[in-house]
Amino acid sequence: MIYKNKKVFSLLIITVAAFILMSILEPTVFLTLRNFQSMTVQIPEFGLLALGIMICMLTGGIDLSVVATANLAAITAAIIMTKFAGAESGANLTVTLTVIALSIFAAFIVGIICGFINGMLVTRLGITPILATLGTMGLFGGLGVIITKGKGIVGFPPQFLIIGTAHPLAIPLVLYIFLGVVLILGVVLNRTMFGFNIYMIGANPLAACFSGININNVLVRVYMSSGLLAGIAAILMIARVNSARSGYAATFLLPAVLVCVLGGVNPSGGFGNLTGIVLALSLLQILQSGFNILGSSSFFKNVIWGAMLLIVMVINYFGDRYARRGIERRPAKS
Amino acid sequence: MKRIFRQNEIYVFFIMIILMIVITGFNRYFFTLENFFDLLRGHSFEGILAIGFFMVLLSGGIDVSFTAVAVVGMYLGVMTVVKTGINNIWLAIAVAVFVGLILGAINAVFIGVFKIPTLITTLGTLTAYQGALMSYLQATHQTVISNPPQSVINFGKAVLFRIERPDGKILELSIFSLIFIGITIITWLILKYTTLGRSIKALGGNMEAARRAGINILGTQFFIYCYVGALAGIAGLMLGSYLRYVDPLYLVGNELTIIAAVVLGGASIMGGRGTIIGTVLGISVITIINTSLVLMKIPSYFQQAVIGGIIVISVSITAYRQKLRERQTRVLDVT
Repeated sequence: MIYKNKKVFSLLIITVAAFILMSILEPTVFLTLRNFQSMTVQIPEFGLLALGIMICMLTGGIDLSVVATANLAAITAAIIMTKFAGAESGANLTVTLTVIALSIFAAFIVGIICGFINGMLVTRLGITPILATLGTMGLFGGLGVIITKGKGIVGFPPQFLIIGTAHPLAIPLVLYIFLGVVLILGVVLNRTMFGFNIYMIGANPLAACFSGININNVLVRVYMSSGLLAGIAAILMIARVNSARSGYAATFLLPAVLVCVLGGVNPSGGFGNLTGIVLALSLLQILQSGFNILGSSSFFKNVIWGAMLLIVMVINYFGDRYARRGIERRPAKS
Repeated sequence: MKRIFRQNEIYVFFIMIILMIVITGFNRYFFTLENFFDLLRGHSFEGILAIGFFMVLLSGGIDVSFTAVAVVGMYLGVMTVVKTGINNIWLAIAVAVFVGLILGAINAVFIGVFKIPTLITTLGTLTAYQGALMSYLQATHQTVISNPPQSVINFGKAVLFRIERPDGKILELSIFSLIFIGITIITWLILKYTTLGRSIKALGGNMEAARRAGINILGTQFFIYCYVGALAGIAGLMLGSYLRYVDPLYLVGNELTIIAAVVLGGASIMGGRGTIIGTVLGISVITIINTSLVLMKIPSYFQQAVIGGIIVISVSITAYRQKLRERQTRVLDVT
């Protein structure tokens, strides 16, 4: 317990420090409503993908196919929308809204199916998750390319684009959606049997098996949830950029894994919580926006991200060693 | 005979043969010596990267930073030749290998000394290495080197031998093939006949057992990651001189193709198992698919899905056979 909180605590300190540093360096630009709006608009889609990877990581697996799944879901939704309620189709409002609802639903379904396939490969065939999802990443991404022939799909109804552009109470709508998902996921992970089983399988699969948990069943549901999260990310993605294209956001994959690890999720499973993920997302976004404002090269943020990950891990290493030394000493005293 | 069929490589080999037959059926050009020599020239660098990655995988680790190391090595190697004016390929090679060794050693420090999981370390250094190179280039207003010095171009054109066919066609075997084959043999010798090689395998099999057997874990890890870095440096330079165009944005993002090839060759992602022959076969299959879809008149946008599908199928077969074997010898294992 202390171990877990310590990681989140050191991350919290770094995040606050980064925030204060940026505020001191560029108070007139960084501490403005516009900057915060642009920062919070970018977090959700990326954050949802990271959450998908996180829940798989909690079970000791990983889902490398999240971005490809999101793209496939986005393309499905985009095709439905442009075909039946495109900007020039002249469909009336009721039809348009129904089509939008249907396409969002379709995106979720595609995400869940992709997740189901991953789950089946991992459980029934017993493929290591990293390999199974590596393969399906190519498969789903490639399907998207085949469907679109590599071109982008544009021309969504304006009612749909509201999702990406609305700012109720000066906060982007996408952030509300993201926080809602985080809240639901928090309840699922911490208050339900399913969530408990996820942590249990990650911590000790053998013990989980002997305590009567149907591991395969839980794992399939975990990968399906990851697919659903990718489906939600897909909707936010195409609503913001107003186009769907296979290969979009492919560069998000490694940073999303990075966010999970930075947020204190143990890649071999069992440990990690949502607070850490949200903090890690905020930290990365603060650094990215901050360095943009400071006018540094757009690639410099990569250096910062990579360095941040390694620094946090080294800090954790020393923290661990310190804590362990305390435990080892205690029996000697008594 | 039974032993042969129990090995994974034989299946990859069959896949390769079937692919070759099918592709030749579509296009006669595929099964010619010219095509094979061309493939060897254009993809030897991928083979070298795959062999480096295979060694890390064998030791139970994962190194995703090799593409960034290759790109940094390539750029700095060529840039040194440009800046110093010493038009000698050996200087570029030395710089690229040296850069690879240094970057690999940095990986090894985080992995061996601070005990950070290999995937996380190399994920961090992947972004950091490439980001550092790119921000340095942007800060000093440099871009791609589109006209590399003559020595680098000559390196890309160097041939081992040249055969003049009676019909006037010229066959050339690139020097890259020699480098690739040489590195393959050296790596094979290291893994098979040296204590170091045994240590690497032992590390992947069971780290704790290896420690208790008195293996110098830190030293072995330093060797592995420095070796991979050096190979990546050479591979990067080969790529640059093959393309005659040094683009720092190239290659990064293609890690998964190499990983897929190594895994296709039967190396276990958990470490300790795998053969170098399998790795060479794996990268051959991936290369053949990658380059031959065009020969088969299949639109290039099918490429990604086909490779993904082949990875899924091949790992499914391996995993399923593993499962069957376990079922045959099932014991209640309470550890």
